[in-house]
Amino acid sequence: MLPTLGNIALFLSLIFAVSQFYYTRKKNKIKIISISVKGLLISSLFSFFILIYLHIISDFSVLNVFQNSHTTKPLFYKITAVWGNHEGSMLLWIIVLTIFNYFIFKLYNKKNYIFVSKTLEIQAFITIGFIIFTILTSNPFDRIIPAQENGLGFNPILQDPALAIHPPLLYIGYVGFSAAFSISVACLALKNGKNFPWYKYMKPFVMIAWTFLTIGIALGSLWAYYELGWGGWWFWDPVENASFMPWLIGTALLHSLIIVEKRQSLQAWVLLLSLLAFLLSVVGTFLVRSGILTSVHTFALDPSRGIYILAFTAILGSYSLILFGVNSKKYFNNNYFTFFSKEGAILVNNIFMIIVCSTVFLGTIYPLLIEAMTNNKISVGEPYYNSTVIPILIPAIIIMGVGPILSWGKENTSNIIRKLLPSLLITTSLTILFFSIYKSFSLIGIAGILLAFWIISNNLVMFYKKKFNLSVGMIVAHLGVGFLILGITGSSVWQIEKISNMKINNEININKYKIVFDSINEIKGPNYLALRGNFLVFDKKKNIITTLKPEHRFYPITGSFTSEASIHTNIFRDLYIVLGEGNLNEGWTIRMYYNPLVIWIWIGALTIFLGGCISINRNLKKLT
Amino acid sequence: MIIKKKIIKILFIVLFQFSVNESNAVEPDEILINKKQEIMARNISKNIRCMVCQNQSIDESNAPLAKDLRILIRNKIQEGKTDKEIYKFLTDRYGDFILLKPPLNLSTIALWFLPFAFALIGFFVIFFHNKKSKKSY
Amino acid sequence: MIKKQLLKIPFIIFIIVLSIFFYLLIIDRNPSKIPSALINNSVPEFETNSLFGDKKFYSSKELKHEITLVNFFATWCKPCRDEHVYIQRFKDEKALNIIGINYKDNPKKTVQWLKKLGNPYSNIAIDSNGRIAIDWGVYGIPETFIVDSKGIIKFRHIGPINKKKYREINLLIEKLR
Repeated sequence: MLPTLGNIALFLSLIFAVSQFYYTRKKNKIKIISISVKGLLISSLFSFFILIYLHIISDFSVLNVFQNSHTTKPLFYKITAVWGNHEGSMLLWIIVLTIFNYFIFKLYNKKNYIFVSKTLEIQAFITIGFIIFTILTSNPFDRIIPAQENGLGFNPILQDPALAIHPPLLYIGYVGFSAAFSISVACLALKNGKNFPWYKYMKPFVMIAWTFLTIGIALGSLWAYYELGWGGWWFWDPVENASFMPWLIGTALLHSLIIVEKRQSLQAWVLLLSLLAFLLSVVGTFLVRSGILTSVHTFALDPSRGIYILAFTAILGSYSLILFGVNSKKYFNNNYFTFFSKEGAILVNNIFMIIVCSTVFLGTIYPLLIEAMTNNKISVGEPYYNSTVIPILIPAIIIMGVGPILSWGKENTSNIIRKLLPSLLITTSLTILFFSIYKSFSLIGIAGILLAFWIISNNLVMFYKKKFNLSVGMIVAHLGVGFLILGITGSSVWQIEKISNMKINNEININKYKIVFDSINEIKGPNYLALRGNFLVFDKKKNIITTLKPEHRFYPITGSFTSEASIHTNIFRDLYIVLGEGNLNEGWTIRMYYNPLVIWIWIGALTIFLGGCISINRNLKKLT
Repeated sequence: MIIKKKIIKILFIVLFQFSVNESNAVEPDEILINKKQEIMARNISKNIRCMVCQNQSIDESNAPLAKDLRILIRNKIQEGKTDKEIYKFLTDRYGDFILLKPPLNLSTIALWFLPFAFALIGFFVIFFHNKKSKKSY
Repeated sequence: MIKKQLLKIPFIIFIIVLSIFFYLLIIDRNPSKIPSALINNSVPEFETNSLFGDKKFYSSKELKHEITLVNFFATWCKPCRDEHVYIQRFKDEKALNIIGINYKDNPKKTVQWLKKLGNPYSNIAIDSNGRIAIDWGVYGIPETFIVDSKGIIKFRHIGPINKKKYREINLLIEKLR
């Protein structure tokens, strides 16, 4: 009964979406548009909550529940598994679309009926596309006949809090860009689009999308760091790249929106970026679900789904980009600005973001390109991106330090030096201080630390000078980037790894710590059995700092093994230990890491998120 | 109750003998004594894809093939082979796909060259933008 | 007007990329399958012990005079057991010369295994440390290769042979004969 209800709710939302699409093309239909928007929101939410409920009560007559759940799964993971699979995640896409749709609707005022209606029309079209895709190829309410006793369980590696909320946050990002996309198309499609303050409407959506995409990506990396067992947090996996590209475009977009707001320049450029941000998000969806490549991230492979998404993307992209080619001219103006100005710095940032995005895009699709043209298969892995992306990011980050303090229009060169002097001094002194403590010198390490302190000091100086005509959100977010670079440099350049075989009572030294293998015991979790090792950590002064307890787990339902690393964190370093294979007689293989400054990666990401939230708040206030 | 505990204990012993470890890769008995050689082995391994895994190098993976290749690479290093020779040995048998850093040949020229072309285009854009703005001042 | 042409570029790039994706979708391809680097190359030379008797196994002797199916297998590998029936069929129905390469196995166990299931192999090479497999670019077992009468590798299949593959290999053998 309930699954049928969920299905009906889904169909109902399709009807509301079609109604919205139809009536936004007519005049004076605001009442029925209102019903459509609200009906769409309510019916899609209803459908989504039904699916969650079906998972909670373990209704194994529903195929989606059977494939992804089990009675022994903890309640929290029963709920979060709803969006951890393909069909459920499509439903999540839909409800986020309908929520943003509702907020676009809230933009209506006495003067902008035509503009908001056009935006809602595009948004309705996108929503219709996703709902039809879900109903036709990925319906979560499909039944399995006969109903099963119990489910197939769920990959234990995915039963994790960070990973559980990672998709919703990412989707707020991707779908937020859909609102910017719709606004942009409205600008290009309408004859008098330029008369509306479209950038004021776009900015909050872009800020929200970008901010949540940032934290979504960061949580995915955090999970990889503590779960996958070798201290890595970014692998240039095609699907990671698929989230990174919209983020890069989003960063460019968010910065140039500021210019549009303040100086009315770069409008056509911003319209293009907002189209690309969402198109990349949809292409990302395609890559994950189409079966065109395999990755740790891909959902079940199915070319028919791929063809549908591709066709849909083709329609959206062709329509919007042709419109851009034909109609964007009216958004060009002749406000030029020099390199030495705030606009100049932002433009340079944009160009760097585009260069990095193009490179990541190239690296991601190149293997597919080669395969299509020759019969050969090559792989593009981490070494490629390290050689190409990092050298480009370095000048971009240097400019990021300078940009915010430049004036609009034109800056005096001598003025720049004067403004920068305090932070130059702070940067140099902090760097010297750093290397006097950590006496390990490497070119890339010095470059990274310099850059990190450059950003941090510039923003601290701005904060100190109380330049609050400069957005607080921006200062906080940029500060976060500084912390991020600090963390990335520390953990990449000065990581120490020790692999050895240890028996009970053996000890090993890493950096200034002594680790003693004290004991091993068997423990029982809610749906797993595990071996847990106890390792005592002593510092130089022979004081015990902590006990590390890595586990080796077995999940009987899925028959899989996982390894849970044990990590001790402080602001200087992570101590990270992994329990491998072994037995009492021969000992165990132990892998141990000393990871300097890792926590600054997460502090940085959180700070960026905070800065974004501050800006969102400010932007929302401006809107009302 | 006691029987239950005993069963769990036996289960542990049996299961963990057969477990495929998800976490470690290079094992202590593989590590070469000569530090230089070991570093060379690690560097090469980090560039070799584990063919039976998802996006891991053989340095990180614990698949049996990865282990075999790690040992093979160390043997070849001890025989005095250069990294070029070792890479060729592997690509002759497994194709270019086994390299994580794509090789530089006719079909990959675009891959290696384009990022710098992008950067160049970017600089030109800035340059011309700057020029135009200087005129309007 | 240069700008007019420039504005069309995003659309053009978009269409090119989407066409590539579309092409990749409609051709029958397996994204996790990687073509063998050895196809149309000569069989790797190797010398090892044979499972039978105290003899040596020379690749140059065994693999260059008639169409041969080379099958990497082991007794501890369940899919190898599953595909054994097809290997046997290749011998019985097609009178195909079949060489086995026993991968990381216990020779005594292999002899027992073959006694129980039947022996389709005209000869079996022992690959105790997996080096021969690496020379053939093997990922894991079972893997099967078809070598022509001149010792050129013409085909490779990763994983157990099923009905579909059996038919496919049959067609290939007919073509080669």
